[in-house]
Amino acid sequence: MIPFLTLIQREISRFFKVIIQTVLSPILNSFLYLLIFGVSLGSSIQMGSGNNYLAFLIPGLVVMGLINNAFQNSSSSIITSKFSGDIEDIRVAPITHSQIVWAMGIGGVFRGSLVGLITFIVGEIFYYVQNGELLSIAHPFLMLFFTLTGGFIFSFCGIFVAFIAKTFDQLSAFTSFILLPLTYLGGVFISTDNLNPFFKALSHANPLFYLINGFRYSVLGHSDVEILVAIITTLVATVVTFFMARFALLRGSYSRW
Amino acid sequence: MNALEVKNLKKTFQSKDTRTALIVEALKGVSFEIKHGEIFGLLGPNGAGKTTLINSITTLEQPTSGDVFVFGESVLKNPQFTKKQIGVVHQEVINTGFFDVDEILHFQSGFYGIKNNHERIDYLLAKLSLAAHKHKKVKQLSGGMKRRLMIAKALVHSPRLLLLDEPTAGVDVELRESLWKFVLELKNSGVSILLTTHYLEEAEKLCDRVGIINKGQLVYVGQPTEVISKYSTKKINVRTNDGKTYSFIDSAAKPIQEILKEHKISFSDVADIRIEEGKLEEAFTKMVNL
Repeated sequence: MIPFLTLIQREISRFFKVIIQTVLSPILNSFLYLLIFGVSLGSSIQMGSGNNYLAFLIPGLVVMGLINNAFQNSSSSIITSKFSGDIEDIRVAPITHSQIVWAMGIGGVFRGSLVGLITFIVGEIFYYVQNGELLSIAHPFLMLFFTLTGGFIFSFCGIFVAFIAKTFDQLSAFTSFILLPLTYLGGVFISTDNLNPFFKALSHANPLFYLINGFRYSVLGHSDVEILVAIITTLVATVVTFFMARFALLRGSYSRW
Repeated sequence: MNALEVKNLKKTFQSKDTRTALIVEALKGVSFEIKHGEIFGLLGPNGAGKTTLINSITTLEQPTSGDVFVFGESVLKNPQFTKKQIGVVHQEVINTGFFDVDEILHFQSGFYGIKNNHERIDYLLAKLSLAAHKHKKVKQLSGGMKRRLMIAKALVHSPRLLLLDEPTAGVDVELRESLWKFVLELKNSGVSILLTTHYLEEAEKLCDRVGIINKGQLVYVGQPTEVISKYSTKKINVRTNDGKTYSFIDSAAKPIQEILKEHKISFSDVADIRIEEGKLEEAFTKMVNL
């Protein structure tokens, strides 16, 4: 158990060492999104559900902060280790592959949740200023469920991509061409109800759509998806990405960049 | 029980170079063993398979066939046990950017299941002259300090088998001497050591036995003196009683009396004799070119 706990501790200590880049910078991004989209533009957007746009946007931004940072934490940790050459330390130490995947997963969930939590607090301040009351959480346990599964899914994805990637280009291609479009088209900023039927159908094939809307449901009590479908989809995605990460540890590259 | 037993180890790679053969045989059935408390030197030119062999022992590489046993346990069947017994100093220097020396060594201890390893870490830092640098980041250390940190990392969990992959490459003479001294101390404390090196002087001074590896095959295993006598020459300078001087070069294994007899010099005529013993380097060059 000590090797597993040590790896978790190292993963968390690592991002605290560069807290400006890993926590403060994402929070500033969320603050700007809330200010520009939520407050300035949001006042002219009418949501079909009766909520104001800021209430719609806050859960979306929390999930975006959560998944981006969970992904970044595990992938950056592995990539920097590939650069420095100490990736081999973990491979030759008596730590099992499952322990590595879970420890790095927990590190990612911790950083993602921290950014998500602070984004939520900043969102609450904006909401309070705009509406004179706080945005209440409809289903706290569901919120915890989607936070953990969302964090794990993207931490595991980060492990998978970082071990499989042979160059820095391959890693950034995943972020730019897969993660970013799926996030934006998954319903962070828009409700799929407003899309034409083709794009609406397409967005339903995006696994992130279920995570974002599941989380939104946990906060607002309603969203664009059936909550049971969202729960099952995220659970399946957690299992699938776990095995992808394990596969990457077995077959991926430990060689130095 | 042997500290290490390598049994018919083979490793083939898919070549990345399309102009050459598709399959590269890095190890072609290597077998040898290291006895408890022994220093075994693995000598070989670049690309001979030394690092692949080390990587197969540490499980960084999966062998194509064969097996490696560490204190009787297979690295393929019981890696959790064998990994705990091994400390490894890799050839390339690491540059961990986030943590200082002390943190790195504590994390390393934790990876091997040891909490609060202050005493051992402080001992190693003092022993390797790193105590004054324990709060420095790796990038603030000199090349020699980084090497010593790597050795400290490999020793935090007091391994019974130490693998040193060219530990003194690029290290100045003074540091090399002090590392040799430390390696001998480790041996005396019961640690078994596998050392790969380019420096034949290092192998000659430290190793109980050496193995010469070339093109993925172990071509010789024996004591350094044995290798030298079999495969190198010695130079004999003789001055006879009548003031004449002679100089002969012959096999290091051949007795002096026999050499003198061949050159028709009686031992009673010899006023002075100087023998320059062969070097492992010469034997090594001869063997890899066989």
